[in-house]
Order: sequence, then C-alpha cells, then structure tokens
Amino acid sequence: MLAVRGGELDALGELFERHHGPLFGFLVKLTGHREAAEDVAQTVFQRMLKYRHTYRDEGSFAAWMYHLARRCAADHFRKSNAAPHPTDPSDLQAHADDAPHAAHQATVGDDHALLRTALARLDHGDREVLLLARFQELSFAEISGILECSVGAAKVRAHRALRELRAIYLRLQHGHPNVAGSE
Amino acid sequence: MTCQRTRDILPDLLDERSVSGAASEARAHLAGCVGCQRELAGLTETATALDTMPLPQPSPRLRQNFYAMVEAEKQADAINPLASARPQGPMRPAGWRWFFVPFAACALLAVGFFTGRQATPVQVADDTATRTELKKLQEQVNKMGRLVGYSLLQQQQGPANDRLRGVLASAQAEKPSDKVLDDLISALAFDPNANIRLRALEALSSHADRALVRAGVLAALPREQNPLVQLELIDFVAAARDRAAAPALERLAQSEGADRSVRDAASLALARF
Repeated sequence: MLAVRGGELDALGELFERHHGPLFGFLVKLTGHREAAEDVAQTVFQRMLKYRHTYRDEGSFAAWMYHLARRCAADHFRKSNAAPHPTDPSDLQAHADDAPHAAHQATVGDDHALLRTALARLDHGDREVLLLARFQELSFAEISGILECSVGAAKVRAHRALRELRAIYLRLQHGHPNVAGSE
Repeated sequence: MTCQRTRDILPDLLDERSVSGAASEARAHLAGCVGCQRELAGLTETATALDTMPLPQPSPRLRQNFYAMVEAEKQADAINPLASARPQGPMRPAGWRWFFVPFAACALLAVGFFTGRQATPVQVADDTATRTELKKLQEQVNKMGRLVGYSLLQQQQGPANDRLRGVLASAQAEKPSDKVLDDLISALAFDPNANIRLRALEALSSHADRALVRAGVLAALPREQNPLVQLELIDFVAAARDRAAAPALERLAQSEGADRSVRDAASLALARF
C-alpha cells in the first residue's frame, strides 16, 4: 500500500488479488446479500484509491481495509435504510416466507441455511464484531482499533455475540415461531 | 473455579489468540463438569460452522470494475499530476523542531533577501507589466484547455481515455456555457463507460441550480442501467428537490429489474419529496 500511496497504482492490483476474496466473504456474511457485498467491496477499493494519501504505515493493511469496509457497509445500510435480510436465491428456496413459522420451512438438516438466517437476525453491531473476531488475520488489538473501543470491550462483545448467535440458531433449529434475535 | 466464572472464560478457550492464566484453571474445571463441557461444545460447534460457512464467489464484474477504476485513476493522475502529489502521511515534527524551525526559516529568509539584492537590480516598474502578461498567458492556457475538452467530449466514438480527459477538462470551467453542459449531459446519457458517466454527473452536480442540467439528469435517469450510476443520479435529483423526478423515481422504486439498493434509494428520495 506504501507503493500505491507513492503513485504506483498498479500495486493496488496485487492487493486486490490477495484480499478481495476474504473481504467479499466478510461482506457477504455482514450484509447477507451477495450483490450488496459486491457493491460494498467495490466501494472499499474505490476509497482505497481515493484516500491512498491518508494511509499510514501503522498497523496492518488488513486492519485499514476492514476499517474502510466497516464504514462503507455502514453507508450501504444507511442508504438502503433497512436491516439486511438474506435474499440469495438459495435462501429464498430454504425460507420461502420470512413470516412466523418460516423456520419450519427450512430443511432441518441444512445447518448452514439456519446459520445464515441466525446471522442475519443478529444485531448489526454484534454481527460486525463477531465476523471481525472470527477473521484470524486480525488481532484483537486491531479489531479494537477498527471498532474504536478497548481490547477488553472488543473481546467481551465478540464473546457475547457468539453466544447470542448460538441462542438464535438453537431457537431456529427447534422451530421457535417468534425468533427475532435482539434486533 | 465456579461454573459461572468458567463460562465467562469459555470463549477464550475457543480463540487461539487469547492466552490467559485463567484458561488453565477453566480447563481443570471443565474436566469434571458436564454442564460446562456441553456449553463449550455448543459454542465450538457454532464458531466452526460460522468459519466454514460456504460462500459464493464474487462475479467477474468486481474484478473488471476494479481494473477499469484503476485505469481511470491513472488517466486522471496523468492529466493532473499535482493532484497525486499530496503529502504522504501526517507531519509530526519532534519537539525540538518547534524551536528550531522558526529560526531556520528566518535565517533562510535573510540569506535569500541579501543574496537577491546583490544578484539582481530592483525592477519595480517591470513587475506590473510582467504580472499582467502572466495573467493573460494563464487565461489563454485555461481557454485552450477548455477548448480541447469540448472537442474531446464531442468525439464520443473516441477512446475512453480521451473522453474521460474531455469530461475532466470541461469540469474545470467555473461558469460553463450551455454548450459545455449539453456535452456533459450527452456524456452522462450516452457514454458506454460507467466511470465516464459518473465523472460527467460529478461535473454537473455543481450546476444543479440550472434548469438545463436538472432536465438532462432527469432524462438520463430512466436510461441508466448501472446501479452505481443510478444511485448517484437518484442522489442528485433528491438533493436538487426536483419534483419533476417523482414519476421516474416511482417507476424505479417499483421496478423489479432494478437493484434492491436502487429501489430503496428511489423510495427514500420519494419520501423526502
């Protein structure tokens, strides 16, 4: 990124090739929507290019990238003015209706579909911290920098989010009719 | 160690990055507590499922758009190299520099002043004439730049780089004529490259108070198929409070073919009206 900051814009291509996959995965889980994740990922790289002069050689590039990704995702949610819901065709097949009892329509054995639904019903802040924490390239010190909180607070929030996700997941698995998470 | 304390520490056991002394005590407790073992197994299962969740691959569009964007930025830098020569990172002088820098600046100023006095004769009378001449030259250069921009804009069939250069040159005019605005609107409506359409819209946005611009943007809105450009167009008409845009926004908000974020943005803009 230092080379990009110095004017070698082609060097950003290497960073794109190395990081766009994990970034896209993070955004798919965060937004619950493939196209939205792609748009946000594109905006992240656009901002990298636009704000390359502000890049400081402090901490890892990944931490800076996820910091930008978090901002871009927040802008996306603000624009769409709605909490993310899974609308992938595969999700729609698994959950033909998002009304009460929708969990009954999910294939019981399809744990991943249930987990996607549980993740989408998790509070946005909890989902964000949980996904950052499960991304092993980032240390908790970097995560706390991204979230602008202390390391201890980041850990507590990540742990609490994992418990909450498990609770929603179990309620879905047992066909609880009014699963709403903490949203 | 109690069950409650152990359960507080359980997430640390899931995370290889977390190393704490309490973790070994928690493990000792786990060895003899079935309830805590079950809790740990549950959290491990959820975390593993989250880590191994199958994800779709991004479409080739992401890579194509990225490289197009880098190319456009390189072209923009080539046209205006000063824009990329910004300071790299914040300046944080050490404490002693705060004292040293003013003295050094004064010394340099004094040296420059005395050297200049000795090396060149005073030419106060010529200064005014020189400034006037420089101003004229500057105006001519600006005018030439705008003329080149107009001609490039009109060559819609030319290479994308030339068209982009044309848009950027036209965007520099503070008070563009109707002709220039017409050309920018044409680029917005008809240019096949989304980056150029976005740049054209950006150039037009500072002239949203002109009816010609609002009408042009409104005409481009139903033609646009790219969600990024659509969102920017919607932002434009919403910011301009152009009520004439309401029918077009309604159609977009209800269009099943439009991207979801576009439909949402159109609905939001309508709500603002």
